[in-house]
Amino acid sequence: MSMMEIPSRQRPLTLLAIVIGLQVLLLAFQIKRDHDVRLVRVWAVDILTPLQRSGTWVISSVHGVWGHYIDLRRTSVENDRLHSELGRLQLRNRELESRAVEADRLSSLLGFRTANADVPMVAAQVIGANADASSRTIFINRGDQDHLRKNMAVITPDGIVGKVVEVYQDTSQVLLITDRESGVGALFSGTRTHGVIKGMSEPYLLMDYVINDEKVSPGQEILTSGEDQIFPKDLLVGTVVKSKNGNPFAVINVRPAARLDRLEEVLVLLTRRDTPNQKKAEPAVAPVPTVGTATPSSAAPGKPVTATPPGTNATPKPPASSPEHP
Amino acid sequence: MSAYAHAEPNIEVHKFYGGTISVATFLALVLQAFLNKYGAWVGFLELPLLITIYFGLSRRNPATGLLLGGTIGVLQDAVSHMPIGTYGIAKTVVGYMASSIGSRIDTEHPLARAALIFLFFHVHQAVLTVIERALLDRPVAFFSSKLLIAALINTVAGLLLFPLLDRLRKPS
Repeated sequence: MSMMEIPSRQRPLTLLAIVIGLQVLLLAFQIKRDHDVRLVRVWAVDILTPLQRSGTWVISSVHGVWGHYIDLRRTSVENDRLHSELGRLQLRNRELESRAVEADRLSSLLGFRTANADVPMVAAQVIGANADASSRTIFINRGDQDHLRKNMAVITPDGIVGKVVEVYQDTSQVLLITDRESGVGALFSGTRTHGVIKGMSEPYLLMDYVINDEKVSPGQEILTSGEDQIFPKDLLVGTVVKSKNGNPFAVINVRPAARLDRLEEVLVLLTRRDTPNQKKAEPAVAPVPTVGTATPSSAAPGKPVTATPPGTNATPKPPASSPEHP
Repeated sequence: MSAYAHAEPNIEVHKFYGGTISVATFLALVLQAFLNKYGAWVGFLELPLLITIYFGLSRRNPATGLLLGGTIGVLQDAVSHMPIGTYGIAKTVVGYMASSIGSRIDTEHPLARAALIFLFFHVHQAVLTVIERALLDRPVAFFSSKLLIAALINTVAGLLLFPLLDRLRKPS
């Protein structure tokens, strides 16, 4: 609007407004507010921000309506692609979870192996199970070429597993302690009372040859006694689940410490030497006289084994003298 | 600027010798800065404001008055520590008002001059206070006893100064 269009009586007033406006603008360029921001910027932001916010809201609303309700041409294709991607990722996720579990197991094995570095042992992978329902055996991927021999102990960091019963070139068969033909010289960790752990081809084990007078409570730990010439002394076998009087011995059910139903990796002890971190067996309580010699013998399974002097179990005995396999 | 002259027919528009306004403005600014060195009481004097009021009343042209006031104010800002435009706006308003009033009533009488100087001084300070509070974010009071004393001092100073400036007018 030029001066010529302004009524002459209002021209001075218009000029006044212009001059004052220019000077206010000049001030706004010089004055700084908080955070060293010039007043003119504050004003500009105050004026422009609501407009920008409104504009952005309008544009985003239009874009949203267009994208979500009108332009759906590629949605179906993209949906299919995303479903496919989701399936692939779920598969990958399960694979990674499985690997993580495997890593945990291997880490546990490695920890045990490191803690017992001076004990010759070899890690093996379970590659198969028993072919019949009555026996409890597994196959591992180690054999003669790995120096495995019959009657070598098979364990996990959690507890004992069984013993090697057949050795092939690169595989071996392992008889689990739950097999009815299996027997392990064992003792109670607290009282050191001896007995024999027998398999029943069931999930639980039976601690036999313990007299009825023996105080047995659920949760008691059962350790190997070393008298079977197979397992080193004081390895964990399992825990007592329940106990009741029997004839002539108490009937004690034991839960195996090793997860025998989900074995994937095991350790095979290549010698019969005791592992260093085993609990030191203190003969605080004398072996309970059970039957005959009162301690498990190397006789047939189900019979008490003969007491063996300490240290004599360091050398594997021939399979024929195995307590579990007559 | 003659296009904006709205003086009443019976009110005389005074004219000055060339360079009078410029020299007077320059001297007012120099003296203002110079006198401020000699005591706080001199700080009450507002010579640029008195010059603005005088020439506004004499020229009686609102456009000329506001431009002159604005120019003097901006120059005063330039030699002070205030942001440029602070005094500029205040003196623009005073210049506009002085020339508007001067074009309608006779302002030659000393009493009229005294009243107008007193009034314009307060207008000037009120505009300054508004600017400082609104733009500079300073909590300045609108009125104080010092302001009243300053208004009286400037009124007296104006009554002494204006007759001297009257001598610089061209004979009509």
